[in-house]
Amino acid sequence: MGASLPPKEANLFKLIVKSYETKQYKKGLKAADAILKKFPNHGETLSMKGLTLNCMDRKQEAYELVRLGLKNDLKSHVCWHVYGLLYRSDREYREAIKCYRNALRIDPDNIEILRDLSLLQAQMRDLTGFVETRQRLLTLKPNHRMNWIGFAVSYHLNSNASKAIDILEAYEGTLEDDYPPENERCEHGEMLLYKISLLEECGFLEKALEELRKKEFKIVDKLSYKEVEASLLVKLNRLEEGEKLYRVLLTMNPDNYRYYEELQKCVGLYSETGQYSSDEIDKLHALYQSLVEKYTWSSAVKRIPLDFLDGVKFQDAADNYIRPLLTKGVPSLFSDLSPLYDHGGKADVLEKLVLGLEESLKKTGGYPGRSEKEPPSTLLWTLFYLAQHYDRRAQYDVALAKIEEAMQHTPTVIDLYSVKSKILKHAGDFTAAAALADEARCMDLADRYVNSQCVKRMLQADQVTLAEKTAVLFTKDGEQHNNLHDMQCMWYELASGESYFRQGELGRALKKFLLVEKHYADITEDQFDFHSYCLRKMTLRSYIEMLRFQDRLHAHAYFRKAAAGAIRCYIKHYDSPPKSSTEEDDELAKLPAAQKKKLRQKQRKAEARAKKEAEVKSEEANVSGVSKQGKRNVKSVDPDPHGEKLLQIEDPLAEAGKYLKLLQKHSSDYLETHLLSFEVNMRKGKILLALQALKHLVQLNAENPDTHRCLIRFFHKVASRSAPTTDAEKLVSGVLEAERPTFSQLHDNKSLMEANTVFLEQHKDSLLHRAAAAEMIYCLEPNKKAEAIKLIEESPKNSVSSGPLGSVKESKLKDCVAVHKILVATFDDQDAALRWKNRCAEEFPYSTYFEGSLCSTITSNITSKQAHESAENGGIEFVPSNGKVEKLDAMKNLAI
Amino acid sequence: MVCIRKATMDDLLAMQACNLFCLPENYQMKYYFYHILSWPHLLYVAEDYGGKIVGYVLAKMEEETTECHGHITSLAVLRTHRKLGLATKLMTAAQNAMEQVFGAEYVSLHVRKSNRAAFNLYTETLGYKIHDIEAKYYADGEDAYDMRKQLKGKQQHQHQHQHHHHHHHYGGGCCSGDAKAE
Repeated sequence: MGASLPPKEANLFKLIVKSYETKQYKKGLKAADAILKKFPNHGETLSMKGLTLNCMDRKQEAYELVRLGLKNDLKSHVCWHVYGLLYRSDREYREAIKCYRNALRIDPDNIEILRDLSLLQAQMRDLTGFVETRQRLLTLKPNHRMNWIGFAVSYHLNSNASKAIDILEAYEGTLEDDYPPENERCEHGEMLLYKISLLEECGFLEKALEELRKKEFKIVDKLSYKEVEASLLVKLNRLEEGEKLYRVLLTMNPDNYRYYEELQKCVGLYSETGQYSSDEIDKLHALYQSLVEKYTWSSAVKRIPLDFLDGVKFQDAADNYIRPLLTKGVPSLFSDLSPLYDHGGKADVLEKLVLGLEESLKKTGGYPGRSEKEPPSTLLWTLFYLAQHYDRRAQYDVALAKIEEAMQHTPTVIDLYSVKSKILKHAGDFTAAAALADEARCMDLADRYVNSQCVKRMLQADQVTLAEKTAVLFTKDGEQHNNLHDMQCMWYELASGESYFRQGELGRALKKFLLVEKHYADITEDQFDFHSYCLRKMTLRSYIEMLRFQDRLHAHAYFRKAAAGAIRCYIKHYDSPPKSSTEEDDELAKLPAAQKKKLRQKQRKAEARAKKEAEVKSEEANVSGVSKQGKRNVKSVDPDPHGEKLLQIEDPLAEAGKYLKLLQKHSSDYLETHLLSFEVNMRKGKILLALQALKHLVQLNAENPDTHRCLIRFFHKVASRSAPTTDAEKLVSGVLEAERPTFSQLHDNKSLMEANTVFLEQHKDSLLHRAAAAEMIYCLEPNKKAEAIKLIEESPKNSVSSGPLGSVKESKLKDCVAVHKILVATFDDQDAALRWKNRCAEEFPYSTYFEGSLCSTITSNITSKQAHESAENGGIEFVPSNGKVEKLDAMKNLAI
Repeated sequence: MVCIRKATMDDLLAMQACNLFCLPENYQMKYYFYHILSWPHLLYVAEDYGGKIVGYVLAKMEEETTECHGHITSLAVLRTHRKLGLATKLMTAAQNAMEQVFGAEYVSLHVRKSNRAAFNLYTETLGYKIHDIEAKYYADGEDAYDMRKQLKGKQQHQHQHQHHHHHHHYGGGCCSGDAKAE
């Protein structure tokens, strides 16, 4: 390095490198300038100066200098390495890898460059390259522990675990017998556990167990030791030993469900489905009765039997389980028991049971069959349970009566307000639900949970501004709004994106969805530093787990929702681009040339001014950010806070395609992925890709109403295409002809109308299926509009809903709203829509959407009712329909 | 009711969501990665019947100091899941691991002066004592109690693992500071 320089300058060059490593950038810059004064074209110095400037946020200069340096000294590995580092700092990993490779061509054994290259290869999952680089590092420096481990890990990642085992054993062979020294015991133990996990992965179970036991005294993490031992024993079918060990593990943590599950497997009493014969139930019952005595502290051991018991035994066990928890006032009791509501009949038993307790508490002040009195709070929690019970069973009026009774009993318990808010939300009154949640929030301003709950409800009620004001009450760190984003508060960004979307604010919605997408890109990025860190720390099992987690990161629900939301925005935008810009252009076109020029100039100037202002602001923010936080708190001013620019794009469908690809790769099991793919590709005119999406849909769920819509629409559309002329078109036609008969819906040469009739016949009790069939009648034969609408209006009132058991009514409300939207948008029939609305208002009296008679937007106009509500809710009024509440706002100001 | 178990990689996003929903002190994902990739033994979650994360403890070892000790970075339990003793169970699990894997002498934590509920849990149920007061520790200017608990449960610990006769009862080394980041 700096070889071509005379001694004085060579020393200065060393100083630049050292200053860079110790982050003393000013010092390094000074040294670089001193060299350049004498040797202005010295390539390596120019490069290092560039790299230094890069760390001082002077990116453009950095790139110029680094490129110039390289141009002046193409044969220098330093210049190439620096260029690679520069790309790396900008996350341009592919480019960086190229630079490193060039550097290595000049200096093949440079350890530093090899190490840097290996990190990039791990990051980019260039696994063959990773193995190669790791091998060279080990060959060059075999006395470094890290190089052995790195080599083994590279093979493991490249799907060769048994080779990884060999490498680790060879490494162990280099160690002294008394290894490890006291200060490396943790690391060494982790390495051994990693090796054993590799043996297990390869299916060498016997060997894994043997090795584990042999190395027991060297493994510090005793809990992992036991867990691995137990799991190996079960896999080896050595169930008696396994049972013993799981009992030991249970004494250490009697609240770990997995241990119970494994214990059941060991004694031959486990079923995936939770279905047991009566003999098995008796045995299980006996098992858990013996466990209850041992692990008195455990709540799991008391709760699990409720899953498998039935009949009278279930009733007794539930009774014994519920009573002490009501006495204690455990707020989560209902949510704890709610999975039982999916077991047929258990909900009825619980209802009878708790109603019995309520009756007895009211009559005698104690539980049935007991002489001692319960504290008054027991009745409160009983009512609290019942309110949630009836909510779950969609009997909203009873649920509300119970919760209001509880509130009268004790008006100061926050949980009651939260639950009332939830019931109202289920019943369809989002506005009142938000108001209730706000009441709960005001009862404890220091509790972020009630704050978040309230923000969530406000967003569900489309009160976005209010929600934001409320949310930032807890972001006490300077720039309030940014804080939610900086901390990756994804639920909030998603919920506000969804609200904006409902309100048709596509730019803002898109902005929020893309923010969530950005978090996932950042999380992918986060792994970079750990490629070297974990090799040193030896937390190899976690490291591998992390890499695998990263590989499926984009399958996470938040990402899926955000990507789907963004795609919807692009589709909707494509379908109805905002008029303003095109209209403006039209107007512009009418003007004479000279005037046009002037106007354009004016616009440009205004844009430049705005940009400059933003820059100044961002600079200010930078400075203040640095002074306050000390480091890396650079906050730039958002030049597009409302996402308007996000929509000013040439080809929204191409943008949608980017996110679609990620969904197709990571969430191909979801109907929604293929629905979106279908919509995008139909609009693009990509017939075969739309067909592919359709085939996925049919495969995933052929009976789904949306699948049906796509099927009919697709074949209707291709039938209306003109005869193929080009070769490509003929090819497409050929594929379609071959594919059509593979759809069972169209067998026997059924017409689309016939297929639609069959679909309707099969699902005529389901509202959404009827609506889909009706829509398709209208699509195929627009003159049958009246018939189609009649089909919807004649759906039976108690028609089956698509939702899961228990929450039937809430999802039914959603379905009815969807149908109303179809009547408005697709059929464009205001009369039919109104008739539907009136019918639903009756069925869902709390629904704000249908303006039911009991919903808050109606009741707030009725003074007597309002006064009653007002008194009951501690003087806080219900929110009027416009969603803006001055009074609540005022309280919020007081709250800060 | 609620399962208490060691956290896995797949829990981290849910832990972050849980933290953001109920606590004012928040962290980026990378900080969670840092914890689980440094001390995977010290992260525990409380998972409800439906698989939802309703509480967690995020803890670390302080490796800079000479005295080896653990530190609770963050502890949260959703408001809806109070009164189940989850915080106690999570804390106990993390403390045990600190002692058993790393041989920690004591464990420290910070708590807002105004947070009486947490303070009571730490002092009365878990046996923490005030070690110091850190003025303006939190971003909003509030003071923190710097609290500590000695981990001298070693006798009990040995009792539990009686059947394992090996010469090292608790590991060492991870606090010796040779594993610093570059």
